[in-house]
Amino acid sequence: MEEENQNSKSNRTNCSSSMSDVVLGCVMPYIHDPRDRDAVSLVCRRWYELDALTRKHITIAFCYTTSPDRLRRRFKHLESLKLKGKPRAAMFNLIPEDWGGFVTPWVNEIAESFNCLKSLHFRRMIVTDSDLEVLAKSRGRVLQVFKLDKCSGFSTDGLLHVGRLCRQLRTLFLEESSILEKDGYWLHELALNNTVLETLNLYMTDLNKVRFEDLELIAKNCRNLVSVKISDCEILDLVRFFHTAAALEEFCGGSFNDMPDKYSAVTFPQKLCRLGLTYMGKNEMPIVFPFASLLKKLDLLYALLDTEDHCLLIQKCFNLEVLETRNVIGDRGLEVLASSCRRLKRLRIELGADAQGMEDEEGVVSQRGLIALAQGCLELEYMAVYVSDITNVALEHIGAHLRNLNDFRLVLLDREERITDLPLDNGVRSLLRQCKKLRRFALYLRPGGLTDVGLGYIGQYSINVRWMLLRYVGESDEGLLEFSKGCPSLQKLEMRGCCFTESALARAVMQLTSLRYLWVQGYRASSSNPGRDLSAMVRPFWNIELIPPRKVVVVNQVGEDVVVEQPAHILAYYSLAGPRTDFPNSVVPLDLVGLVAT
Amino acid sequence: MSRATVELDFFGMEKQISANSRFPKFLNRQRSFRDIQSAISKINPELLKSVIASGSANQQSTPENGYQFDSKKSFSVPATPKEEQTPFPRLPVYYPLQRPALENPPQTAPLTIFYNGTVAVFDVPRDTAESILKLAENGFSKAVESTNQKQVLESLEGDLPIARRKSLQRFLEKRKERLTSLSPYACTPDCRS
Repeated sequence: MEEENQNSKSNRTNCSSSMSDVVLGCVMPYIHDPRDRDAVSLVCRRWYELDALTRKHITIAFCYTTSPDRLRRRFKHLESLKLKGKPRAAMFNLIPEDWGGFVTPWVNEIAESFNCLKSLHFRRMIVTDSDLEVLAKSRGRVLQVFKLDKCSGFSTDGLLHVGRLCRQLRTLFLEESSILEKDGYWLHELALNNTVLETLNLYMTDLNKVRFEDLELIAKNCRNLVSVKISDCEILDLVRFFHTAAALEEFCGGSFNDMPDKYSAVTFPQKLCRLGLTYMGKNEMPIVFPFASLLKKLDLLYALLDTEDHCLLIQKCFNLEVLETRNVIGDRGLEVLASSCRRLKRLRIELGADAQGMEDEEGVVSQRGLIALAQGCLELEYMAVYVSDITNVALEHIGAHLRNLNDFRLVLLDREERITDLPLDNGVRSLLRQCKKLRRFALYLRPGGLTDVGLGYIGQYSINVRWMLLRYVGESDEGLLEFSKGCPSLQKLEMRGCCFTESALARAVMQLTSLRYLWVQGYRASSSNPGRDLSAMVRPFWNIELIPPRKVVVVNQVGEDVVVEQPAHILAYYSLAGPRTDFPNSVVPLDLVGLVAT
Repeated sequence: MSRATVELDFFGMEKQISANSRFPKFLNRQRSFRDIQSAISKINPELLKSVIASGSANQQSTPENGYQFDSKKSFSVPATPKEEQTPFPRLPVYYPLQRPALENPPQTAPLTIFYNGTVAVFDVPRDTAESILKLAENGFSKAVESTNQKQVLESLEGDLPIARRKSLQRFLEKRKERLTSLSPYACTPDCRS
């Protein structure tokens, strides 16, 4: 970092004599990979400065690791910034709403200093209407990409400023944000003022007051409109929109509220190849058949299809590269997928309803489906799946065939009493050993799912894995310590429901050489003084925070509201900005001095 | 299964499953299974607790979604022929029996326990039966070490159900609303946005 560069002053003459600045200035912009850039910036001061001048994009994976001030001092000419706030668990309702990740300090700095910023992406952060106003007024004229990704805290009033002032927007992305909807005027403003929009994403925002007339206007004015994802809007109202948006390649959202035969009149844009129709049922499904073979991406997460429907549709989509759906697809659907969609690269199977017959009884995924998949879809790079049953053999098949996997996530449901083949030690070892490109890995099991030996295998064979999410793995502290001797690339570790003690967690952290972020919920707290045994991981630049246990209302399997006591979380991360100063009541920083002293 | 029905009436545990479903054909087939299985399973926690723990000085609290044997006290069960006791599973995992089992009868069989004037019949898979018998035989010692870790996990299991993604959760709620409020062919001005 900066300290090291000051020491290399003596190397300055050597560096600059071997390559002139002009040459370096020409070469550097071609280096894009952030890790390469990181290495470049460490060579000497001159290279550090040149990197700072020419770096186009920065991703700050966790907003509290640094400060707006530091970002400005180093990368004043930044063109693109991505900032992430709340822990991933926030997507699953596990983090208090007011936890943190406020964009305000960043927005203020951007408004004041970052003159070149064209692209801004906030993910899981808290944004206010005032933030949007400040941004729109200061950077609206140049902003081309604006993404509020799973954010919350703002309303359509804030979006009004964006619609009015951000006239150069190519991309407006609001997917899954919690937005207070007062009206649909903001979209009208956007429709009036923008002619260059290419991507509009309101997916899963419940923004239902947007008028389809405004969508038509956008389609008419923005000839480059390529991707549109909206909330619930009757498909029959969008017929004119589909006619006008001639360049449209992607559409998701909509709603089917009328009689099925009325939808045969709907025609989609010619180039449409990425599709997801909300509430589409078996009777409406045939409208997709005419262009099913052109589809590269299919989103059935929010459709109303059963297993048989899936089989019927998927069979026709033989060019499919991305499929997202719920586990209602079943083993049979996966078998059809494996035989029909040989080009499949990404597969995501989410958890549907499991209560009261809301889903097809055939809608369970098990080793049978996985084995078929492994043998059929050899180009798979991303696979996330909820299974009701699993075997080691299934994982071995994945390891043997899916050599291109870079992201693998397996969740074993609590539904069945008996799992055919536990523990999964050998299967996991086989998979990790053979899928050498694996960078992200998640294993969500139940007690008995993986022994300490198995956990040790994960440590040993996950050479390139940078992110892991683990639940109910291992049996004792020994397993965790063995695990933490390996995982050489592990930067971010998330765990739930572990039987490990605080001191084991702390020791593991100290052994994981690449670890910069840890999140744990459900562990063996010290009975006498919770948090105390974490002192083993106290070290400079390492922030440790606790979210104490709290009572939360959740919906249980039967669909009832139940009050559950959610266990405590530990969050620990490297930071150059010191401890947080914006804690809500629900978060407790660990008093390091106090801990070490006792 | 008629034997099980007698037990049902005896304990008065008959339950209705609401027929609020889009897939009634599936439900009807499952209904009898579910009724029987869930009703029998519902007997387990209370009765088992009272059967095993009655007379015991040390009562352990049981977590919400699972139950535990009070392994400190052994109790006598009707003599079981030794031949039935096959080698026990490597990892004694406790199965929360009140979750309705979806699969086939051959994997579970009735286990009848007579204790102190009360009768309990449980439909258990083989492994569980073996665990019960093993506990009864060996009593406390061996089970305790793995129990501690398992205890922690079990207690966590109740508090850490698989969390659902917010977006999916929202969709499933909306779908439920749609099914209860809209008939598939409704066409009122309100439903057009």
